[in-house]
Amino acid sequence: MKRLSRMMMLFGLLGCVSVTALRAQDKCLSCHEATIGGQAVALFKRDIHHAKGISCAGCHGGDSKTEEMDQAMNAKAGYIGVPKGDEISKACASCHANAEKMKSFGSNLPTNQFQNLQESVHGKLSTSGKERIVQCTTCHNSHGIVSVHNASSPVFALNIVKTCTKCHADASFMRMYNPSLPVDQLDKYRTSVHGIRNAKGDVKVAECASCHGSHDIRNAKDTKSNVYATNVPSTCARCHSNSDYMKEYRIPTDQFDKFSNSVHGVALLKKHDLGAPACNSCHGNHAATPPGISSVSKVCGTCHALNADLFSTSPHKKAFDDRKLPECETCHSNHEIIIATDKLIGVTSEAVCSRCHGEAQNSKGYAAAKAMRSLIDSLENSEKKATELVNEAEQKGMEISEAKYKLRDAHQARLESRTMVHAFNEGRFRDVASKGVAVSATVSEEATKALDEYVFRRLGLGIATLAITILAISLYIFIRRIERRQSRGTQ
Amino acid sequence: MKTVWSKTYNWINERVELDGLVEFMGKKYVPVNSHSIWYYFGGVSLFLFIIQVVTGILLLLYYKGGEALAFESIQFIMSKVQFGWLIRSIHSWAANLFILTAMIHMFSVYFGKAYRKPREITWVTGMIMFFLALGFGFSGYLLPWNELAFFATKVGTDIAGVVPVVGKPIMEFLRGGEDVTGATLSRFFGFHVAVLPGIFTVFLGIHLLLVQRQGMSEPVSYADEGAKERKTMPFFPNFLLRDMLLWLIVLNLLAILAVFFPWELGKKADLFASAPAGIKPEWYFLFMFQTLKYIPGRVLVIDGEVLGILVFGLGGLLWLLVPFWDRKSSRGERNRFINYAGLGIVFYIIVLTIVGWIV
Amino acid sequence: MVNDTGSTDSTENRRDFLKYVLGGSLVAWLAAILYPIMAYIKPPKQAEVEVTSVKAGKVGAFEKDSGLIVRFGNKPVILMRNAAGEFRAFSATCTHLDCTVQYRKDMGLIWCACHNGRYDLNGRNVAGPPPRPLDEYRVVVQGDDIFISKKA
Repeated sequence: MKRLSRMMMLFGLLGCVSVTALRAQDKCLSCHEATIGGQAVALFKRDIHHAKGISCAGCHGGDSKTEEMDQAMNAKAGYIGVPKGDEISKACASCHANAEKMKSFGSNLPTNQFQNLQESVHGKLSTSGKERIVQCTTCHNSHGIVSVHNASSPVFALNIVKTCTKCHADASFMRMYNPSLPVDQLDKYRTSVHGIRNAKGDVKVAECASCHGSHDIRNAKDTKSNVYATNVPSTCARCHSNSDYMKEYRIPTDQFDKFSNSVHGVALLKKHDLGAPACNSCHGNHAATPPGISSVSKVCGTCHALNADLFSTSPHKKAFDDRKLPECETCHSNHEIIIATDKLIGVTSEAVCSRCHGEAQNSKGYAAAKAMRSLIDSLENSEKKATELVNEAEQKGMEISEAKYKLRDAHQARLESRTMVHAFNEGRFRDVASKGVAVSATVSEEATKALDEYVFRRLGLGIATLAITILAISLYIFIRRIERRQSRGTQ
Repeated sequence: MKTVWSKTYNWINERVELDGLVEFMGKKYVPVNSHSIWYYFGGVSLFLFIIQVVTGILLLLYYKGGEALAFESIQFIMSKVQFGWLIRSIHSWAANLFILTAMIHMFSVYFGKAYRKPREITWVTGMIMFFLALGFGFSGYLLPWNELAFFATKVGTDIAGVVPVVGKPIMEFLRGGEDVTGATLSRFFGFHVAVLPGIFTVFLGIHLLLVQRQGMSEPVSYADEGAKERKTMPFFPNFLLRDMLLWLIVLNLLAILAVFFPWELGKKADLFASAPAGIKPEWYFLFMFQTLKYIPGRVLVIDGEVLGILVFGLGGLLWLLVPFWDRKSSRGERNRFINYAGLGIVFYIIVLTIVGWIV
Repeated sequence: MVNDTGSTDSTENRRDFLKYVLGGSLVAWLAAILYPIMAYIKPPKQAEVEVTSVKAGKVGAFEKDSGLIVRFGNKPVILMRNAAGEFRAFSATCTHLDCTVQYRKDMGLIWCACHNGRYDLNGRNVAGPPPRPLDEYRVVVQGDDIFISKKA
C-alpha cells in the first residue's frame, strides 16, 4: 500500500511537474495561484494576453521563468511592481503602441490608441495633478482583458454603457472636472430607440463609443470631436447611410444625402454656420427620437419661432393633427428642406397648397392660396420696379436719397409677408403685403417724378437757350444798326 | 412808350436835377482798340456779383444755418424746392466764375497799367473787393456743411493760425472757438450774408462811381503817340448794350452749367471722423496751398509755413500798392518790369493751380 | 424820290420787324427768368426739411429704458437709453435679412420683427437667425444734445 501511494505521489508529482513544465513560461502565475491566489489570478487565466502566451512579467516586468522570488521580482530584471497612474498606460503602450510587436503576436489592432488617449479629453491631468484622468485599465480592466467583441468585455456594445456611466453618471465625480456637463445621459439614452434596443441585446445600435469614439474622445466643442456640430451628420451617417447595415431596421437611409442638399445642410456643412441644426438639434442627443407629428412645429419653432406661433393658431393646425399629417414637414419636408421661395405657395403645380386644395375640394384654402400668391408676386414686382426706377434716377444724378431710404420698408414687408404666410389667413397676409405694395408705389412715383424732372430740365434749358439766342442775335443787330446810324450821322 | 418814359424822367428831373448827370454820362466814351475786349470783364464781374446777390437771397428763403439742418436744407433745396437745383447750382458756379472774371479783370487792369494816376483809389478799392470776394468764397464754401467743406475750412483756418503773433486770435475769431464746429458755421453764415455784402457794397459803390467819374483808362501807348484821331464808342448806349449782350450769354452759360454739371453735395460733415485723403481747397486757393506744400519744414530759423504765409502777405501788399511804387507808368512811360513781373505771376499761378489739381 | 421812299419803307419795315423780334425775345427771356424764380419762391409741398442724423435729439426729451429709430444719412440707427440713463446706439439694420429692428421694453432687448431675431443691449446677436452682432455707433452728449457718429 505504501508503495502504491508513493508511486501515485511520484506519478502525481511527475504529472504536476509535466503540467508545470507546460506552464514553465509563467512561473509568476503558477506561484501566485498556489500561494496568494486572488481575483487577479483567476481573471488572468481568462485574459487574452495569457492565451497569447504573455506572462505576468509582460506587464509587471521581472523574470517569469524562475520561481525564486528574489530573482523573479527583481527590479534589475525589469520588475515594476503594481504600476500606478500613468505607468499603467505606459506599460500597456509598450506593446500596444508598437506596430511590430503587435504584428508578432498576429494582431491587427490599431497602435495609435495611446496617443489618441493622451490627446483626448480623458488624457488631461486628474485632480491630483500627478496622472491622467483615465488609464487603459479604467475601461478595459487590468486582468481578464478580452476582445471588444467578447460579451464579457466591459467595452462590449451591451456593457459599455455601464462602463462609461461609472464616472459620467456620478454627479459628485463629474463636478470635480466639468460641473456643467450633464450626468443624465444614461436615463435619456434608455428612452431612445438606440437605448431600448441596446437594452434588449442589439449589438448593432449606437452606444456611447459609436458616436463619441473610444480613445479619441474630445469635448463636443472641440472641432476635431466626432460630435462637434459640423461633424455630427457624418457621425450619424456612419450607420444611418449604410443601407446594408440598416437593412433589418427597415428605415430609410437617405437622410444624410437629403440633409446635405438642404438649406440647413448647406449652412452647417458648407458655410460652417453653427446656428444651423445638425441631426441632434431636431432629434435630440442621447434621447434621440424623431419628434411626434403634433410636436414638429414646436421643434422647428425653437428657431423658427414666429412661423411656429403663427402656425399653431392657424386653421392648418387642427386640420393637420386630425389627418395625422406632420406639421412643418408636410410642406417643407424633414431632411431635404430646400429654400422656401415664393413658388411654394399658390395653386400652380410647383406649389404645395394644391396637394390638398383644389377648386372643388377645400376651396376656401384654394382661394386664399391663390390670393396670397398673387399678392406676393405683385409685391415682388412692385419692389423690383421701384428699385429699378430709383437706380435709374440716381444714375442720372438726381437727388433721390429719401425715396431710396423708403425702399427698405418695401423689402421689410416682403420678408414679413413670407413669415405671415404661416397664419394661413388671407386678411392678415393682405395687411402686411399691401403695406409693402403701397410703399413701392410711393417710391416708384417719386422716382418717376425725378426722371420726369431730369427731362424737364433739359427741355427747359433748350427753350430758354432758344429765347436767349434770339434775343442776343436781335440785340446784336440792334447795336449794329445804332452804330451804323451813328456813323452815318457823323458823316 | 416814349411819352411814359419822358413823363417819368421829367417828374424825377424836377426833383433831383438829372439833366447835368445825363449830359455828363452822354459824353462818356470807351476807346476802341485791339485791347478793348478786356474792358468788358469788369462789367461781367459786376453781373456775376448781381447774380450772386439774387440767387443768394433766393437761397436764403430755404437755407437753414446750424449744423443740424444746413446739409439737409440744401438737400431739400436740391430735391424738393421747384428749380431749387437751378438756383443752387447757378450760385455755386457763378461764385467760381465771379472770382475767375475778377482775376482776369484785375490782370488786364494791371497789364494795361490802368491803376496809374489818377486811378489809384479805383485800383485799391478793386483789390479790397477781390480779397472780400475770396472771403465770400471761403465762407460760402462751408455753408453746405459737407465733408469736403468741413475739412477745407479746418485746413484753411489752420493756415491762418500760423501767422505769427496775431495768427491764433484771428483763427479763433474765424472759428468761433478752437475747433471748427457749429459755431464756425454760424459765424461764416453771418460773414457771408451780412458782413461781407455790406462792406463789399461800399467799396463797389466807390469803385463804380470813380469809373463813371473818371471814364475808361486809355493804354499807355496813347500818350506816346500824341493826339491822334482815336476810334471810340459812346458808353451809352453802345458799350452798355454790348455789355448787356455779353451778360446775356454769360447767363445762358450759367444755366447750361447748372443743368449739365450740377454742383455736388457729397456727405454730411462728421466732426468726429478722420479726414478723407486728398483734401484740397477750391481752385482759387490752390496755388498758395500747393506752394506751401513745397516749402521745406524749416528754412533757417523760420518755420516753413510761416515763411510762406509771410511771403504771400508781402506779395499781396506789394500788389495792392503797385500804383504807388510804379512811378514810370504814372509818368506815362512803358514799364517792362511790371509786364515781366505780371507775366511771371500769371504763369506761376496757372502752373501751381494745375499741379495742385493733378497731384 | 420814289426809290428813296421805297428804300426808307423797306428799311423801316426791317426796323419794325427787328423791333418786334427784339421786343418779343426780350419778353420771352424775361419769362424764362421770372418763371423759375416765381416757382422757386412758391413753397413746396413738404414745407420743411426733416430733422435727421448726427444730432439725434435732446437728452431731456429721451425717456430712460426706451429706444428710438433715427435716420443716419441713408441708414436707420437705433438710439437707446438704458435704465441707468446711459446712451447706446447701434445700426438698426438686422444682420440677418436687413429688416429694421426695434427696442422691446417688455423683452429688455432689441428685437427684429421679421424672423424673431434678438440682440442684447450690447448689440450682440443672442437668439434667432442673425449671424452677426449689430455695428455700434458712437454717442456723444454735449450739453443737452445727443450726437450720433460712426465708430472710427
